[in-house]
Formats: sequence, C-alpha cells, structure tokens
Amino acid sequence: MQQKTITVVIEPDGSSSVDLSGFAGQGCEKTLKEFQGTDQPKHLRRKSEFYGAARQDTDRRMQNKS
Amino acid sequence: MSAYGEFETIMCEERFLVEGLTTLGYRPEVNSQGAALFGYHGDERRETAHVIIRRSQLDSASNDIGFARGADGRYRAVLSEYDRSIGYDDRWIGKVQQQYKERQTMAVAKSKGYIFRGKETVQTPSGPQVRLQFVAR
Repeated sequence: MQQKTITVVIEPDGSSSVDLSGFAGQGCEKTLKEFQGTDQPKHLRRKSEFYGAARQDTDRRMQNKS
Repeated sequence: MSAYGEFETIMCEERFLVEGLTTLGYRPEVNSQGAALFGYHGDERRETAHVIIRRSQLDSASNDIGFARGADGRYRAVLSEYDRSIGYDDRWIGKVQQQYKERQTMAVAKSKGYIFRGKETVQTPSGPQVRLQFVAR
C-alpha cells in the first residue's frame, strides 16, 4: 500500500501549497482541509491519482455487485 | 485520492503570530483589548493593535508596528509609510506570514496525529522557501 504523504511548501511571501500523495477516498478532502485551516484557497485540484483511485473504487463496487 | 492546493495565509491565531515574531527576534507585546501605537517622537497615534512590536526594538526613527485583529478575526499589519520605506514592507510581512504558517502547520499536524518527516529550507531568488513533510498514520 502506498504511503500517504503530505508536503507543505511555504513561500517567502507567506503563501503556501499542500501536496497530498497516496490518499484515497474522503480522507484526502479531510486532510487538505486540516492543513488549509483558515487560509484562503487560491487554487485547488485533484491529481490524476484521485481519478485512478475513484475508478478503482467504482470497478470494485461493480465487481461486488456482479 | 490525492490533491494539490495553493493558499493565501490568513493570520487568525494570536499564538502563532507571537511565536513567529519571536522567532524573527522581536519581543511582541500582546494586548487582548488593543493598545495604542506610538510614533517615533513618543506621540500616541490614533491606531491601535493587539500584537505590538514597540519602536525600541526597531530602527531609531521607527514607529511602533502593530498587528490589529479585525472583526473577521484576521490580524493585519499596521505600518507607517516610513517603516514600510525602510524595509518593514510587504516582503517583511511575508516573512512574518511564513513563520506563522510554519508554526500553524506544525501544530495542526501534531494535533491531528500526522508524523513529521522533516523540514527543508530551499533558497530561492525571492527568499527562503520552507518545505515540511508529514506522513499519515
């Protein structure tokens, strides 16, 4: 299982970015919110892993149904 | 799911602001009700602030620098034009915000149970960039 890593980069102007890797499901949203805190979002995006994980979840659910 | 987000730092928590200023070498004064700022002549100015760096810690001709908490809970710097012109400008505020954000991030990570894996400081043309890494349990 891939390790869940969080990388926070804080720029000299005080702005920051949070990069999450290895997360699956709703835990990702929760973790991003936790590190965002009261900060104002400037840009948010789901990485390709998200779509892979979501597709795998869907595939798994379909297999379970059949 | 994995994600990426970019954020503007909003300073809302007094303790991280105070810790950040202390790390930068200041001895901030905290006044929960807000206190008057003084000018370089010792004159009381009309501005008040909740976290204050007194002018004795700054340049000899400086005024007090304050951080006033607004109705939205956000701390904003109160700086005179003179102090901005001698280096207490947006770049300096960025340094304060960077310190604030680092402390806030470490506190969040600790309280939520993330494991700290390390800090790296990378020099960039606009100043030091701080990278913090954590893993989830």
